[in-house]
Amino acid sequence: MNFPVWDVAFGAGLLMALVAGLHVFVSHFAVGGGLFLVLTERKARRNNDAAMLNWLKFHSKFFVLVTVVFGAVTGVGIWFTIGLISPTATSDLIHIWVWGWAIEWVFFFLEITSALLYLYGWDKLDPKLHQWYGWIYFITAYLSLVVINGIITFMLTPGHWTDNHEFWTGFFNPTYWPSLLFRTCICLALAGIYALITASVQKDAALKARIVRWGALWTVPSLLLLPVFARWYIRRIPADIWASARGAMPTGTNSALGACILLGVTLLLALIALAMPRRLHLAFSLVVALVAFGALDSFEFVRESVRKPYVIVNYLYANSLYSSSMSGDGGFTLDKINDAGVLKTATWIDVRELTKDNQVAVGREIFRVECSSCHTPSSYRGVHQYIVLRQWDQDKIRAMLGSLYLMHNGVMPPFAGTDAERDALAAYIGSLQPPIATPSGAANGKTVYEHDCGMCHQVRADDHLFANLPRDPQAATDALKDLPGLFPVMPDLKLSEDERRALVQWVNTQRPAQAAAVNGGN
Amino acid sequence: MLDPNLVPTVDPNPLPAPYWVFKLLLIVTFFLHILAMNCMLGGAALALLARWRQGTNKFGNRIFFDVAKKVPVLLAATISLGIAPLLFVQVLYGQYFYTSSILVAWPWFLVIVLLIAAYYGFYFVSYRGERRPLAAGRVMLFSTTLVLIIGFIYTNNITLGLVPSRWARKYFSSPSGWNLNLSEPTLFPRYLHFMTAAIAVGGLLLVLIAWAKWKQDSEYARDLFQFGGKAFLYATMAQFVVGFWFLFSLPRDLLILFMGGNALATSLLAFGIVGALASIYLMSDALRKDNVRHAAIAVSSITALIVLTMSVMRDILRDAYLKPYFHPQQFPVKTQWSPLLLFLGLFLAGVALWIVMLMRYGFFAKAKAANR
Repeated sequence: MNFPVWDVAFGAGLLMALVAGLHVFVSHFAVGGGLFLVLTERKARRNNDAAMLNWLKFHSKFFVLVTVVFGAVTGVGIWFTIGLISPTATSDLIHIWVWGWAIEWVFFFLEITSALLYLYGWDKLDPKLHQWYGWIYFITAYLSLVVINGIITFMLTPGHWTDNHEFWTGFFNPTYWPSLLFRTCICLALAGIYALITASVQKDAALKARIVRWGALWTVPSLLLLPVFARWYIRRIPADIWASARGAMPTGTNSALGACILLGVTLLLALIALAMPRRLHLAFSLVVALVAFGALDSFEFVRESVRKPYVIVNYLYANSLYSSSMSGDGGFTLDKINDAGVLKTATWIDVRELTKDNQVAVGREIFRVECSSCHTPSSYRGVHQYIVLRQWDQDKIRAMLGSLYLMHNGVMPPFAGTDAERDALAAYIGSLQPPIATPSGAANGKTVYEHDCGMCHQVRADDHLFANLPRDPQAATDALKDLPGLFPVMPDLKLSEDERRALVQWVNTQRPAQAAAVNGGN
Repeated sequence: MLDPNLVPTVDPNPLPAPYWVFKLLLIVTFFLHILAMNCMLGGAALALLARWRQGTNKFGNRIFFDVAKKVPVLLAATISLGIAPLLFVQVLYGQYFYTSSILVAWPWFLVIVLLIAAYYGFYFVSYRGERRPLAAGRVMLFSTTLVLIIGFIYTNNITLGLVPSRWARKYFSSPSGWNLNLSEPTLFPRYLHFMTAAIAVGGLLLVLIAWAKWKQDSEYARDLFQFGGKAFLYATMAQFVVGFWFLFSLPRDLLILFMGGNALATSLLAFGIVGALASIYLMSDALRKDNVRHAAIAVSSITALIVLTMSVMRDILRDAYLKPYFHPQQFPVKTQWSPLLLFLGLFLAGVALWIVMLMRYGFFAKAKAANR
């Protein structure tokens, strides 16, 4: 609201994911691959392995072309992109971490210089000096990870920083060390995986086999260590946040599942390559790389999605509103906007007055400034799809907008604005779909649950709905009549008697105890 | 309609060091970035020019490859040195920078795509060019054109960031980020001012290369010197047209700052003009006497000073543009001493290590040997 919103038709979030996803796959290689270069050179020279050295020369060219060009430029690309999509968060992260970024820049500069001198120095320098450049490269590249890791983990687990705003408190935050070790393993694993690519095009089968075996020494142990550090990492994330990856939030849960599966597949493929090292084909090495890419990006997706609704946990929401008032917040906090309204607060908004006739237009503006950092009207994370899927009419949309922060373990920030503005937003979202036909025939309890309850509730014994709804069908049907009366944060859904009855019936078949009894009966 | 309310507010986090520290870092790192950019772009453009005149000059093709092979490294330097001013400009001028970037979002995003394509093109010429000379010329032209487009996008974004009064209309007529700042009167002169400077500095780069080769390969070095020196000469002369066009395209109240309104701005401009005249004289004298050493040392030093002067003038101009909105006092300051000192220590150590790396590689030994 403080900055204009870049209106990307297919979804700004998708663009961000694309740039960042490509970058991390190369940047981790840039770190691990550096150590791989020096240690491989040392090994090859000790063994007088001229063929291996020759390959390494070729590999280091590949390394520079991938990391110094694509890796470095996409790194700048992330910066360009977040500045366009989340300028508030970018500005916060710049101001909080200026010296961190500046220190990283020093390392980056040394990293690029030493990488180029290492590459150009193959035929010019004596071996010892050549490796000296390699070591400088690796150390400075690793140090840039040491710095950036502090900033990335800060966003998920700022810890006591939110109380004292001290640089080092935020930097060495609760997940700093597990994340550093976790990412170190990724770097080392990728060093071995990328080596497969250049190894696969070698004609000398014996050489190819030597490289594959050597690469496996990097990949296999690192992949096996990943779950150990992942476990430590997860334990340092507050349990209520991590719940999002354990079923409460579809994106977080699916990504976590995907990361685990793809990690397993990567390991399997690496072992297959190791079993048939002389027959490694380029296509196979690219498949390994692609699967590893999927695994890494799934992990990054988990991290980003469990962080929702925040960009910086307990500080800044994904839609650039501060979670609590502080001096200098510019009025861009929940409570202030709830009081003053979006139209009076947002700087970059075209309509300032809400009338009877411009409700939809105002709703569109509110959607743009408050929702479009994650959603589009009807493409990436399109609200249109959600509404059609659940058959919500405007009244239901309005009711649901009051409960955004309860959905999927709080994936969304609460709606900020006045009641009239909430009506306008509901009118706009409702206008995105054709009018709902009144359902004919008897209501289906499962459908009612999926449409109206499943965003916040889970089929679990400890879920409020399943634990506390009276078992007596009539009592339960009556209780559901007044949802806010049942529990104040519930949306006032006004379910019909028919729907309530069907829902209760279905819920009773799903109660874990009862389900167990049914299973036991079988 | 001037709507100062449209300028976003600064975020709540205080500056982690006094304002002037960031200002100094911004100007110094921008100066280094622009020098590297000038060498890269000017070098690439002159390489193309050398190749184009290869029909009349026997060294044309050799100059082309000699310089083209240095372009990827110069581009790496441009990017690496560009990150620091990109950081510091966001520290001080984020409200303007993010906003104008969002207004020109797609072109701005395309910079990354174009840059990757240009970079790989330059590497292609460097690695494969001699084996495929025909393709090398075309790819070089392609990559250089992309870099010129990137420069143009930069000029659009930077100039738009200076004029908040134009933002609202631009944004609400196209919030999808397909904008440029083509109606800006200073756009083309400003852009050409930078590009002409790149040719001049690129010419100096050739002079420096000629100097390093003076003893070992004198016939070629002489030709390279004449070519680079003349490029510098003509570009600097052209700057008197382009530079003044830029100056007089400025809004009147800003123009007068350089015409006596602001003592520092006026003296810097005067220094720039006198320096440019002196460098033209020194370069033509050196070319006539075939004295590469003079050209390399004296003209390079003067030019570096002029570029620094221009960087300071650019900063004065920016603050003058933003005067109605931007006030350094608006920043709360809470210095983070230990990270600041850590940065300074690492920065100095990094510069030392960087020099040692170049020394051990033999850069300075080569230059020394060439001039013995």
